[in-house]
Amino acid sequence: MQGFPGGLPDLAHLQATMNAIEHACSLIQMHMNPAEAESVIASLHSSHMPYQTCRFIIETSKVPNARFQAAGAIGDAAIREWGILIDENKRSLIIFCLQYVMEHASAPDAYVQSKVSAVAARLLKRGWLEFPEAEKAAILFEVKQSILGNHGSGPQFVGINFVESLVSEFSPSTSSDLGLPREFHEQCQSFLEMNYLKEFYCWAQAALLSVSNKILEHPTSVPEEKVCSAALRLMFQILNWDFKHTANEPDNSHSRINTLTSGIRHDAVMLKKFDHSLVKPGPTWNDVLISSGHTSWLLNFYATLREKCSYDTLWIDSPIAVSARQLIVQLCSLAGAVFPSDNGETQIKHIALILSAIIQWIDPPDVISASIQSGQSESEFIDGCHALLSMASLTSAMLFDNLLTSVRPYGTIHVLSSLTSEVVKILTVNQDEEETWSADALDILLETWSVTLGQMDGDKTILPHDRVFAASSLFNTIVESHLKAAADSALDENDDTEYFHASVSKRDERLASYALIARAAADMTVPFLVRLFSERFSLLSQRISGNESTRTLEELYWLLLITGHVLTDSGEGETALVPEALQAGFLNVVEAVHHPVVALSWSIIQFSRQCLDTEMRSMYFSPRLMEAVIWFLARWVATYLLPLDTRKEQISTTYHDDGSQHESQFSRKILLTFAVEHNQVDFVLDSVVRISAATLTLYPGENELQALTCQKLLAALVRHKQISVRLLLLDSWRDLARAFANERALFSVNARIQRSLAETLVCAASFIKDSEASAQYLRDLLGPIVACLVDNSSRNDLKAVAQQADAIYMVSCLLERLRGAARATQPRTQKALFEMGHSMMNPLLTLLEAYKNQSAVVYLILKFVVDFVDGQVVYLGAKETTILINFCLRLLQIYSCNNIGKISLSLSTSLRSEAQVEKYKDLRALLQLLTNICSKDLVDFSSVGDDENTTDISEDIDVFEKCLSAVNALASYHFKQRSAGKEGLNAQTVESQGSNGKLQESITSHFLRLLMQLLLFEDFRMELAGSAADALLPLLLCEQDLYQRLVQELLERQPIPALKSRLASAFHSLTSSNQLSSSLNRPNRQRFRKNLHEFLVEVSGFMRIK
Amino acid sequence: MSDEEHHFESKADAGASKTYPQQAGTIRKNGYIVIKGRPCKVVEVSTSKTGKHGHAKCHFVGIDIFTSKKLEDIVPSSHNCDAPHVNRTDYQLIDISEDGFVSLLTENGNTKDDLRLPTDENLLTQIKDGFAEGKDLVVTVMSAMGEEQICALKDIGPK
Repeated sequence: MQGFPGGLPDLAHLQATMNAIEHACSLIQMHMNPAEAESVIASLHSSHMPYQTCRFIIETSKVPNARFQAAGAIGDAAIREWGILIDENKRSLIIFCLQYVMEHASAPDAYVQSKVSAVAARLLKRGWLEFPEAEKAAILFEVKQSILGNHGSGPQFVGINFVESLVSEFSPSTSSDLGLPREFHEQCQSFLEMNYLKEFYCWAQAALLSVSNKILEHPTSVPEEKVCSAALRLMFQILNWDFKHTANEPDNSHSRINTLTSGIRHDAVMLKKFDHSLVKPGPTWNDVLISSGHTSWLLNFYATLREKCSYDTLWIDSPIAVSARQLIVQLCSLAGAVFPSDNGETQIKHIALILSAIIQWIDPPDVISASIQSGQSESEFIDGCHALLSMASLTSAMLFDNLLTSVRPYGTIHVLSSLTSEVVKILTVNQDEEETWSADALDILLETWSVTLGQMDGDKTILPHDRVFAASSLFNTIVESHLKAAADSALDENDDTEYFHASVSKRDERLASYALIARAAADMTVPFLVRLFSERFSLLSQRISGNESTRTLEELYWLLLITGHVLTDSGEGETALVPEALQAGFLNVVEAVHHPVVALSWSIIQFSRQCLDTEMRSMYFSPRLMEAVIWFLARWVATYLLPLDTRKEQISTTYHDDGSQHESQFSRKILLTFAVEHNQVDFVLDSVVRISAATLTLYPGENELQALTCQKLLAALVRHKQISVRLLLLDSWRDLARAFANERALFSVNARIQRSLAETLVCAASFIKDSEASAQYLRDLLGPIVACLVDNSSRNDLKAVAQQADAIYMVSCLLERLRGAARATQPRTQKALFEMGHSMMNPLLTLLEAYKNQSAVVYLILKFVVDFVDGQVVYLGAKETTILINFCLRLLQIYSCNNIGKISLSLSTSLRSEAQVEKYKDLRALLQLLTNICSKDLVDFSSVGDDENTTDISEDIDVFEKCLSAVNALASYHFKQRSAGKEGLNAQTVESQGSNGKLQESITSHFLRLLMQLLLFEDFRMELAGSAADALLPLLLCEQDLYQRLVQELLERQPIPALKSRLASAFHSLTSSNQLSSSLNRPNRQRFRKNLHEFLVEVSGFMRIK
Repeated sequence: MSDEEHHFESKADAGASKTYPQQAGTIRKNGYIVIKGRPCKVVEVSTSKTGKHGHAKCHFVGIDIFTSKKLEDIVPSSHNCDAPHVNRTDYQLIDISEDGFVSLLTENGNTKDDLRLPTDENLLTQIKDGFAEGKDLVVTVMSAMGEEQICALKDIGPK
């Protein structure tokens, strides 16, 4: 072939290489010596100009894997050597690949063909912007001819397959790495979308038409089916494109009106959760997709084929059926300007058309689910659910419900409700089998509910009564099925803790979706919950026992969870609000006692208080039930105790305008104020604190329960000022604080939980206005702890006593508590906490020395100091800073002198690797500490001997990033000081010792060498390029001469002249392009980041960069 | 409520017990525990419940700190476990005798001659080679429940 790159080696050599590759491939297949075999193959990929060899292998080898590898090698080599190939080379590589696949269209081992085809697509994209238009057109013309079927069905399939590779290569999310910046990919994407995408779609349509009749008429399967499913897949893939050029988008002011009149939503939420997205190809696609009747043709095609193959139960999962359904579901998500602006009429027709076809996939639900349970494939059913979800997200609830009226006597929501009921029933019966189709279907259906109901909050459209009834009866089915499942599983002995942890967020997500359904019919569902709850509660009052009580406990557990979700939103990290649906509902309630939400809340709080009764607790309040109680209280307290609106003393006045809204406002007010009335706040708070104290002392060893208590419930109490202020006045809170400070009982709680408790207790202090009172509170709380550590560290017999297990345990607990306190540092408590820390400094150093061989204690000391410095450093003045820094430096000295050069000896590899992990943790803590200190600008560093491990740990990106930021802080400081004419890092640091024991020039040059080494020769990761640039710039500026020398050395070591000049120019533009100056301000750092990124891209071909 | 002071309860007397009772729920990964009479380092803790509404129990996986054998135990988390007193002491290495014993210098100037070299080839060579090269070596000796073993090595000597 003309212009094929690379000189022609002799035949014997080609043969030898081919044999080597074939041998390696067969070794890999037999799993023998895979490392060596892989390195043989990798050497082909990375060799210089391997094209002739690869071509020889592809054309002659009998081993399909060898051909596959050779094709991949062409791609990798050409991308790498793109700069040294001439245009003719590039074109001939692409044409070679395409010709090969056309000629071997019907050969076996299709994966080889698709690999070759993908390589052609990849290379075509790489050259897309440099090839002349005519050349590309010529290539694509050939492809078009084969897709239209002019060369038979084999090449037809190959052509479609190639276009599929091309589209996936041009779509940024699926494109392969070309070593080029993002802009290139974006340009290609936009170009293809504008000029070819629609054309490709038409080709696929034409291919589909050309084979459809044959498929439909032929009684058995024909080879054209392959073409057909490939064409459908390509069309689906094209519609999956992330369209950018969607001109004539109706602007938002219009869309609002549109929504109201037509029911088509333009605010449609993305369907990201299930990897679907809205398809908005723009007005130019109208003729292809809409006016041509494409959709109804496709629906008919599928229906006819389905009818024809109804005898074959496997047909539903055949490639042709799967890809046709995928395309149909994708067409459901069609939106935007592809439809004419006729107030949504065409779009509604389009959606209704699809719904009337797919309704057969899902309705009637009970019949279909029965057939799935008896072995029928579920994929059509699942696709139907997906289609429903797409439609729901494009339409208002009303329109969604009405879509079905032409084909069914009931609405879509009715279908949705009975579908969901059916699926829940099946799921709760087969709870043991995870990942069944019913779980998938339920997720999709619940999302459909969320989409439909979620919008109502905003629009205030109220569903007609029968739809509300549908939601309420669905919720009843859900609750009853789950209660039954709960009761049935209550006696299971299986240790499903691990499963429980993995799925707890999944469970919460599902419960939250159930809760949305419940809120849509709150008038009926909340009273329903009240009734269920009081039934179970009264059973307990009758003192039932044995299995019956366990079943009831499990039912209560589940009821508490679902009730918590119905009444409150998760509000992770946000201010919890009373759900709008609950505020807006209950129109005719005028008194708090009759408000179902109020009744439900009080009955659960009354129930919770029962755990304070010894007999009730020991009979019924199992740790598991308590976990639900604590969880519920935490959410309830955050939402209802002092709702945000009452805290601000202003209930929105907008509802006064409208007389009809007056009642709604009344029940709204009840909901927001019922806890405040009659001083219930203190009562509830007191109960909560006493229940918390009970879980901490009366449930020994129940770590999960106690963690929940401290981290969720108590933490929720000290989050808001008004609540905290009342809390601090309560005797029960004072008792808890006193017990924490002075009693032994709380030491039997897990040390980590003691830390959280300390954090919470200290946090409350920041709400005490009077600074003296607040300091006194902290002294009472922490004084005994500090005193104990101080006393013990000054004992004469410390050395002997300290190593005893109980002493170690005690010290660990105290340190954890101090750490919790340090983490709660607030402006108001900072001073008192600094004093506490100050008095601890010398004792801590003593303890660090005493416990040098107890790595767990050492780690706790380091972590305390990290948190202490982090909390304090921003507030401190010069004097305190000096104290703190000197302390940190002494700490570092003691640590390094005990640890550097130490080798841990252990017989067991696992213990040794544990020790290694502990060292990493220490190192991480130290680096955090350094970064924290460095954030203060006025520090004189005198010893930073711990960073020497940088090279070993490039594996651990997190640690590595911290190292880089520490180096950055250090070097920036040094540079700033020096440019200000000061000494910078003092001599002691500057002359650091390298790992070889030889005295090195300076610490900055040491780091510069290390970093250059890492960037160019180690497995450097591109995601670290940003932080590497930040660290490299100050080093460069500090050590300009050394840098020039290093660059010179590198250039001299490069043997190939072409590469040498590229490297030289890359180095040149690294430091000179983008007007880089020698300062460390932000814009300059940004410029350098950009330069380094381009540099790494440029040299990645011949240096080792991933 | 009484105001107790937190103090280390142990005294420095020689007859201190070899173990100390600690609640199972408070023992964390990397802590120490006695399993089947052997001092172990905890490498894994998991908790589960006895039945849905029962009490928590802890499942410990420990590695014997002397023999490296893996041992496991399940304890209700409110119950006490034995935690061994694990002591580590640094000594300077002064001699390695032909018969595999080491001679160590104690803090008060006496020698301690009753410890064997570790059996593992790898560790053995590290100590022997370092000593042969004339480095000043400090070894850390771990002791618990009446057993002792060299567990760490550090070169403090001149280059």
